[in-house]
Amino acid sequence: MLDMNRRDFLRKSGSGLAAGIASAMWFDLIAQGKIPPPTASFFEERFGVSPEDMKKILQIALSKGGEFSELFFEYRVLNSVRMEEDIIKDSSENISLGVGIRVLKGAQTGYGYTDDLSFEKMKQTALTAAAIASGMSKLSVANLTQKSSNLQVYDLKSPLNEMKLSPKVDLVKEAYDAIKSYDARIVKAQASLMDEIQYVTIANSEGLLISDIRPQVMMVASATAEDKGVRNTGYKTAGGRYGLGFYQNIMTPKEVGKRAAQDAITLLSAVDPPAGEQPVVLSSYQSGVMIHEAVGHPLEADGNRKKTSIMWDKLGKQVANPIVTIYDDPTISDYRGSFNIDDEGTIPQKTMLIDKGKLVGYMQDRLSAKLMGMDMNGHGRRQTYRNNPIPRMANTVLAPGDANSEDIIKSVTKGFYAETYQGGQVSDTGKFTFSVNMGYLIEDGRLTRPIKNATLIGTNVQILNEVEMIANDTQFFLGSCGKDGQSAAVTAGTPTLKIRQMTVGGRQ
Amino acid sequence: MKNDNLLKLAEDLVAFGRKKGATQIEVSIGQGSEFSLDVREGEVERLVEAGSKGLSLRLFVEGKMARASSSDLSKETLEKLVENAIERAKLSSADLLAGLPEKEVISVDIEKLKMWDPAILELLPENKIAVAKEIEKICLADKRVKKSYGSSYGTYTGETFLANSNGFSGSYKRTSCSSGVYLQSGEEPNLFDEGWNDSSRILSELESPEEIAKKAIHRVTRLIGGKKVDTQNVPVVFEAPMTASLLAFLFNCINGNSIYLKQSFLAGKIGEKIGSDLVTVTDDGLIPGAAGTKPFDGEGVPTRKTVVIENGVLKNYLMDTYASKKLSMKSTGNSSGTNNFYLSPGKSTPEEIIKSVDKGLFLTGTIGFGLVPTTGDISRGAYGLWIEKGELTYPVAEITFSGNLGQLLKGIEMVGNDVKFKDSITGPTIKVAEMTVGGK
Repeated sequence: MLDMNRRDFLRKSGSGLAAGIASAMWFDLIAQGKIPPPTASFFEERFGVSPEDMKKILQIALSKGGEFSELFFEYRVLNSVRMEEDIIKDSSENISLGVGIRVLKGAQTGYGYTDDLSFEKMKQTALTAAAIASGMSKLSVANLTQKSSNLQVYDLKSPLNEMKLSPKVDLVKEAYDAIKSYDARIVKAQASLMDEIQYVTIANSEGLLISDIRPQVMMVASATAEDKGVRNTGYKTAGGRYGLGFYQNIMTPKEVGKRAAQDAITLLSAVDPPAGEQPVVLSSYQSGVMIHEAVGHPLEADGNRKKTSIMWDKLGKQVANPIVTIYDDPTISDYRGSFNIDDEGTIPQKTMLIDKGKLVGYMQDRLSAKLMGMDMNGHGRRQTYRNNPIPRMANTVLAPGDANSEDIIKSVTKGFYAETYQGGQVSDTGKFTFSVNMGYLIEDGRLTRPIKNATLIGTNVQILNEVEMIANDTQFFLGSCGKDGQSAAVTAGTPTLKIRQMTVGGRQ
Repeated sequence: MKNDNLLKLAEDLVAFGRKKGATQIEVSIGQGSEFSLDVREGEVERLVEAGSKGLSLRLFVEGKMARASSSDLSKETLEKLVENAIERAKLSSADLLAGLPEKEVISVDIEKLKMWDPAILELLPENKIAVAKEIEKICLADKRVKKSYGSSYGTYTGETFLANSNGFSGSYKRTSCSSGVYLQSGEEPNLFDEGWNDSSRILSELESPEEIAKKAIHRVTRLIGGKKVDTQNVPVVFEAPMTASLLAFLFNCINGNSIYLKQSFLAGKIGEKIGSDLVTVTDDGLIPGAAGTKPFDGEGVPTRKTVVIENGVLKNYLMDTYASKKLSMKSTGNSSGTNNFYLSPGKSTPEEIIKSVDKGLFLTGTIGFGLVPTTGDISRGAYGLWIEKGELTYPVAEITFSGNLGQLLKGIEMVGNDVKFKDSITGPTIKVAEMTVGGK
C-alpha cells in the first residue's frame, strides 16, 4: 500500500484471464451490418432490466439530495487459452456481470455496485450510493433518450469470442512453434491468447441512455533462452480491438513468437548498463511508455483539479521544447486503447495536451470537467462496474518530428539506446522511471553491445525540455495502465527520440 | 443467498460437473462486503459500499484441464459454464500430472487463527469518517506538509467456500480493516510524496490516527530537499518495508511455477547455499491474526509452516499441487501465493545497523519495476537518506539502485529485530554489503 498513489504501466502479461457465451446471433448480425449500433435492449432482453426500471433506480439514487446519478451496466466475457511445455495446458471462460451506481454531489461521490440485477437489489444499492448526500430530493430524472455514438472504432468482422476453441488453439500453437524452432538455445516457451467482449449500457439522470460493445484481443508470447549458464526471457504482445483478422493480416502468431525468441537470444549476450547521467535515445518500438508516464499521467484532470499534479498551474504555459506535440486519441481505429464512448457515455475526442511545447489541455472525466469549468473530452474510464470512473489515457501519442532515426543515433558519441520495456511508474510530483528490458550501448554513433535490465529515472518538467530530436517512425506500445487500483487497456506511441541527458541505473 | 447455501451451491455444481463427464472438478465461491471512504481537505470525497460474490471452477477430463469463473451465479449460467469447460477440456492436451490434490483433513481450529473480528462489523460509518478526518487534520496541521492526496478508511468482510470431487468441502470467514494517508511536501519543482497505511484483521490492533499521521508526516518530510548523489558502489540499508518488497521479488523466484518453467535463477538450487548465514526465510499460513493466515489454500490443501531458506541454504520452494508434482516434491499449500512470508528477525536494532555504515544509502522507497526473476537482476528508481559516519544526513532522490538478488542475499551483513506481521510479506531492517547507486 506504500505505492498507493503511484500510477503504473505494465507490459500486458498473460496471467490468468478467461472466456464466452455471449449472444452469438446478435453479434453475427452486427458483423453483417444488419442491425443498428448497440442499444440498452441487451440488458432488457437478457436480464430483464427495462429503461423504465433504470429511470426509477436513477430517481431513488437522487432521493437524498444528490445532484447527478448514473447507472453503469456491464456484461463481460473473457476467454483465454495457454500453451506451455508443448501442450495446451489450460483454457478459461470468465463472466463478469453487474451494475455500478454513482451519485455526485459537489465534489463528493457515492458509489455502490451489485452483481444481482433484480430491481430490489438495485434499489438497495442506489440507496447506499445516495447516502453521500443528506437532505431532500430536489431533482427529477429526465426521460431517458437512447443515443448512439457516431464512432465505430472496433473491427467486428470476425470476433474471436464467437470462435470455438480449436482455431484459437491453432493460433497459439503457431506462436509457440515459432518460439521453439527459432534457435536451439530456447529452453522454454509460453504462448497464450485472450479475447474479450464487453457490453456496456450507461444511463444517467440527465436523460442519457447509451450502449457499446467492445472487443479486445491479445496474444502474449514469452521465450526463455539458456546458454553457458546464462538464462534470459524475452516477451512480445500483440492485439487490439480486433477479431481474427488481426492475426491473419496485421501480425501473424508466427511473428509474435519469433519476436519474443529473438529478444531472449539477444539478451544472452547482454551486459549491465553503465550507470550515471548520459544521452539517451528512445527507440520507437516501445518507448511510448515514456510519454505515458512523463506526460500522460500528470495531465489527467483529477490531479490538476486537486492541485497535486506538478502541471496544475501550467495550462497555457511553455512546458516542453517547442518540437514536442502530444495528444491522446481514443478514436484511432481498432487500437487497444480506443472506444466509441467512454465509461460515462461521453463520445470521446482527440485531445491536444501539449502543442509545440505549450500545455493546452487535460484529459477530463465528468466530475473534474464540471468542477474545473471545462468541457468533457471522453476520458472517464473504469476497470469494471465495481469501480467509479476516473480520468484515464486511451492512446497517447508524441507527434512525429523531422529528424530520422539513423541521424539521431549518429549524433551520440557515448550513450544508451532503449528498446523494450517492462513498464514505468510516475508520481504526481512528476518523478518517473521506466524499466528497460533490453537496449544497446551507443558508441561513436553506432549501436554496439546489447544491454539488459536498466532503469531510467527523471522528472517530467526536466525531461520535456531535454527532448532534442524527434524522428517520424512512430510505433505503439500495448499495455495495461494501473491507477488508483484500477487497470485500463491503453497504448502509447512515439517515434525514435533523443533526450539530451538522463540518469541511467546500472552497475559499476 | 444464505452462506450455507453457497457451500451447497459449490457442492451441487461439483456433482453436476461429475454427471456431465468431468473426471475431477473443484468449485470455489467468494462472498464479500466492502466499505471504503476517502477524505480530502476535510470532506468525504468518495464513499463506496457494496456486497458481491464470485465463483470460479476448474475441471479435468482425463488429465485435460479447463477453468471458468462468473459473478453471475444463476443456475443456468453456471451449468452452461461447466458444460463449456468440459467441451474445452476435451480439446486440451492430457497432462498426467494435472489434477486435484488428494483429500487432506483440515486439523487446525479455525477459531484459533483469529481471522475474524466482529468489532469490525459493528463499526459505524460515522466512526470511520471521523478517524479518516482526524488523521488528515493532524497531518495538515504540520506546516511542512504541503498537500494531502487524501486519507482513507476501509473495512472488508468475506467468506470463502471450496468443494471438490475428491470430497473436500470447507469454508472460512475473515475480516480486515485499514487506514492511511498520502501527502505531498517540498517546493516546486522539488516535490515529494509519501504516506503511511496500516491494516489489520483485528480492529484493536489497527494503529491509532495519531500513529498513522505521525508516521506519514515523518515519511514525507524527511525527503524534503532530496538530491542526486554521485554514481558509486556503497552498502545499502533497507528500511523494513523495503525488505518486504525484496521478499516479494524473492517469492517470484522460489515459486514452484517459475522453477519448473526455468524462469528463475534459483531453479535447481535446492540444498545450495544461496544467502548469508543470517538469512532464514519462512512461509507460515497458521500465524494467529496475521494478514496472510488461512486454514487451507485455493485447492483445499492445508496451509503449514515451510522453511524456504535456512541459514542461507535453499531448503524448499513454495508450490501448488501441480508445481509440486512437476518438481517431485510435496505441495506446500501455496496455490494462493504467499501465506505469511517473512525473513526471520536478527539481533540488531535498526539504529545499530545504520550506525555500522560509514557511507551508504538508507533505502526508504522505490519507484518502477526492473525485477527479472530469470536472472535475479534488480534495477529500480530509489529514494531515501544518505548515511555518513553512522548517521542519517541529507535526503537523496532521483537515483537508481541496481544489483542481483543472488549476490544481494549473500551480501546480507546485518538483520534487524523489527519484524511486524501487519502485511502478508514482511521483514526487518537489513544491511547489504554493496549495491550500485546511480546518480550524477
